[in-house]
Amino acid sequence: MTTLLRSYCLAIEFFVRIIGRSVAWFVPILSLVVAFEVFARYVLNSPTIWAYDLSLFLFAYIAALGGAYAQQKNAHINVDIFYLKVSERTRRFFNMLTYLLAMYFMFVLIKVGLDQLEQTIKFNYRRQSEWAPPMHHFWVMIITAGGLMMLQLSAQWVSDCYGLITGNDLISQPESDE
Amino acid sequence: AEHNWRFANLYSRGTAFGEVYQSLADNIEKMSDGRISVQMMYAGEGVSTNGIFGAVKSGLITMGAPFQPMHAGEMPAGIIEVGLPGGTDNPAELMDLFYEKGWQAILEEAYAEHGLVWLEPYIQPPVYILTKEPVNSVEDFQGLKIRAPGAYGKFLRNLGASPVNLTWGEIYTSLSTGVIDGSIGSNLIDHRDGNHVEVAKYMYRMPLAGAQVLPVIVNQSAWNKLPDDLKEIVRGATAIHAQEQLTKSRLWEAQAIADMEEKGMKWSPEPSEADKAAWKAAGANLWDEYAKEGPFSARMIDVLKKDAM
Amino acid sequence: MGIELLTAVLLCCILFAFALGAPVGLALGGIAMAVGYLTWGEGIFNLIPSTIDSTYFSFILLAIPLYIYMGQLLTRSGIGDAMFNASQMLIGRIRGSLAVSVIGVCSMLGAMVGIIGAGIMTSGSIALKPMLERGYDRRLALGVIMAGGGLGILIPPSVPMIMFASSTQNSVGRMFIAALIPALISVVSLALYVIISCKLKPSLAPMDTGAEAQMSPRKKFLTMRDGMFSVLLIVAVLGSIISGIATPTESGAIGVVGALILAVVFKRFKVEMFKSAGFETAVLISVAMWIIFGATLFSNYHLMMGIQGMVASLTQDLGLPPIGVIIMMQLIMLLLGFIIDEFIIVLMCAPLFTPIAVSLGYDPIWFGILMILNIEIAVQTPPYGFALFYLKGIAPPGVTMGEIYKSVIPFICIKLAVLILCMMLPDLVLWLPNKLMG
Ligand code: NA
Ligand code: NA
Repeated sequence: MTTLLRSYCLAIEFFVRIIGRSVAWFVPILSLVVAFEVFARYVLNSPTIWAYDLSLFLFAYIAALGGAYAQQKNAHINVDIFYLKVSERTRRFFNMLTYLLAMYFMFVLIKVGLDQLEQTIKFNYRRQSEWAPPMHHFWVMIITAGGLMMLQLSAQWVSDCYGLITGNDLISQPESDE
Repeated sequence: AEHNWRFANLYSRGTAFGEVYQSLADNIEKMSDGRISVQMMYAGEGVSTNGIFGAVKSGLITMGAPFQPMHAGEMPAGIIEVGLPGGTDNPAELMDLFYEKGWQAILEEAYAEHGLVWLEPYIQPPVYILTKEPVNSVEDFQGLKIRAPGAYGKFLRNLGASPVNLTWGEIYTSLSTGVIDGSIGSNLIDHRDGNHVEVAKYMYRMPLAGAQVLPVIVNQSAWNKLPDDLKEIVRGATAIHAQEQLTKSRLWEAQAIADMEEKGMKWSPEPSEADKAAWKAAGANLWDEYAKEGPFSARMIDVLKKDAM
Repeated sequence: MGIELLTAVLLCCILFAFALGAPVGLALGGIAMAVGYLTWGEGIFNLIPSTIDSTYFSFILLAIPLYIYMGQLLTRSGIGDAMFNASQMLIGRIRGSLAVSVIGVCSMLGAMVGIIGAGIMTSGSIALKPMLERGYDRRLALGVIMAGGGLGILIPPSVPMIMFASSTQNSVGRMFIAALIPALISVVSLALYVIISCKLKPSLAPMDTGAEAQMSPRKKFLTMRDGMFSVLLIVAVLGSIISGIATPTESGAIGVVGALILAVVFKRFKVEMFKSAGFETAVLISVAMWIIFGATLFSNYHLMMGIQGMVASLTQDLGLPPIGVIIMMQLIMLLLGFIIDEFIIVLMCAPLFTPIAVSLGYDPIWFGILMILNIEIAVQTPPYGFALFYLKGIAPPGVTMGEIYKSVIPFICIKLAVLILCMMLPDLVLWLPNKLMG
């Protein structure tokens, strides 16, 4: 049982980390796209029609898909004044409550994302710009981001639940950083 | 009340246009003897102006006054409804197009596809271009960097300009530093409110779209819940609103021009006949492109073409 | 449920979730969708698409990733450190001088960015590490970053000022000029506070602890050179805005390209550095954007339920004297800072309050500057403040929220003093624009 839970958590962590680190490569690309637009407008005197939307898409992909990885690294901001004062067991219990709330939010996000995806495909929704790139991939991305966050939260929830019951850590050492 | 509606409009709280929508809301309440209550949602108060179409469609908001160029990706026909560049600014001709020549039926169908009821549209002042240097003839647009999103961008490119995508909040700074040479606003009043005249003085005389026709839309399922008499009342209030928009927006447009002239706005010279022809041609060139964007767009363009013959 | 009761319920939910240590953005979104479901029904979920549109598709917010990335590249290549090392070679004999040069750098960043998030996270990326490494008091270092980063909306260009001017039909140029003296007062008083408190308590800012203390002359020369170039980079980015090459948002990308070129030219470019700067930036962007998304969803829900009506009715019929009304409005905005972000405060309060202030005979530009000074404070007051969350995001591991709360207190007092000063002496705000623009 412990092994099963542990593999579940490790598998999710692995998956979330891969995606989180992959989208990080969009950061330099995003900067280049914006810099190129400045170049095209100022030097070539012919602004592109695609840089505006492309940079927003890249920004959204980094921001949304990186969320689960940030959660894994405990990078999301919390107000830890009271949280740090309580025992580790209590903290696990707090986590289980707040992760439930967060998972509910992700559930709603995914549900809405699916609705939107359906509409987007049905009506072939695009951005309102002249370039008019399609929107369907964006909603697929949002659903994925919500799903990843949900999985990551569930792994941490399982791990805290295990810790609360047995008093031991499910995974002995958190994965080292870089 | 029997029916609790939320009505999202395009303008911020405290603006003159915002007040006109408020009076539509008040009229619906008054004319229905309070059976419909309407809560007004100004721009950004819960739903962004970009989100009005989607919010009415999903039923989050019952009634909306969207700015269709913002929803070109969701409903391409809306762009044609608003008025393509080079179109007429004569309200009578416009209403003829809608009610006699067939646009009404096409649009009702187009909106119904999205689960929306299309009510009486209203006319707002046209889109103008403000530039840092005077535009003496159409040739001056060559290479000019003008902030013009979406449909208007295509039109300006036909004239040789370089359309730039910029968010509204960056127009002022960009005009002042020279990132762009000019900008369109969603109408003349927009330029006044954005204080753009402080950093770009010259208004071009020819409007980009003759006059803008904007719809009032209602969520279909909320509409279906209304008994027939209330439906008539809402339609009646919308017709009054359309009238009010027409008279007031002219007044306000004149006022905005006076305000801006006081702050140093100047007009570019009167365009020549050749300029006017080039302008019209640049607009007509776009018709086929727009027709491709969907069946409803194609039908609306057909009407335009028949009318032009 | 009335809006007053709902507001109380929402506030309780926030405080409860915060106490349990919930991730802020996820909790705010979750609370909005849960309370929304109970009060409105499933329909409230449809608030999500429009909120996504106004957050993930906001070009203004694009400044956040671009500027953070520039900051990360400068720090991780060592060029940013060189800038502070060099400044210490020049003015290191003055106690607290590093914090003062940080305030200087923050003011320059403030002149580039127009939103709070980009200001704080960039300043934090570049300037926090040098101060902590030299053994500066942690609270002092954090407070300086917070106060300096917040200058982004007070020093032009400023997005909230543009929003104020357009929603109240006032001159943006006038706003920008009117902000200059209050901004100068803020910067000078921040610097004075740092110098005086370091004088009184030397342990806050140790001296001769930096890398430059043991450097060989050759190393010192290289540090001076790199430091000078990184200052030049900042000047170049600023120049690209002023000369009309790029918008304030886009100029971040110019900074990124510049930082990369500097790193390559000075042989500080390493693939590992490039990779880790990208990773760190991606995490910071995610953290910032999930908070912005959750918090915007929360305030959108609150707006849909009619909080603006409550705020409007609060300011009416109180029978206060004119200056009392102004003070009351300031208090309301400070309180709104508990639950609402900088843009929404302006969007909501500018059109509600400004006509009242004008009808009482006050100058709208003056009132607008007060509003900007006010929201700069509002987003920094505990427990709920965007600036606090951004600072926590950029702070090294081990810095607790409690420390952050404590670190900002003296700086909030300073900003409050500036606000009160400008309120009492309107000429501080109005003299310069009247002089320059008539
Ligand atoms: Na600024
Ligand atoms: Na606050």
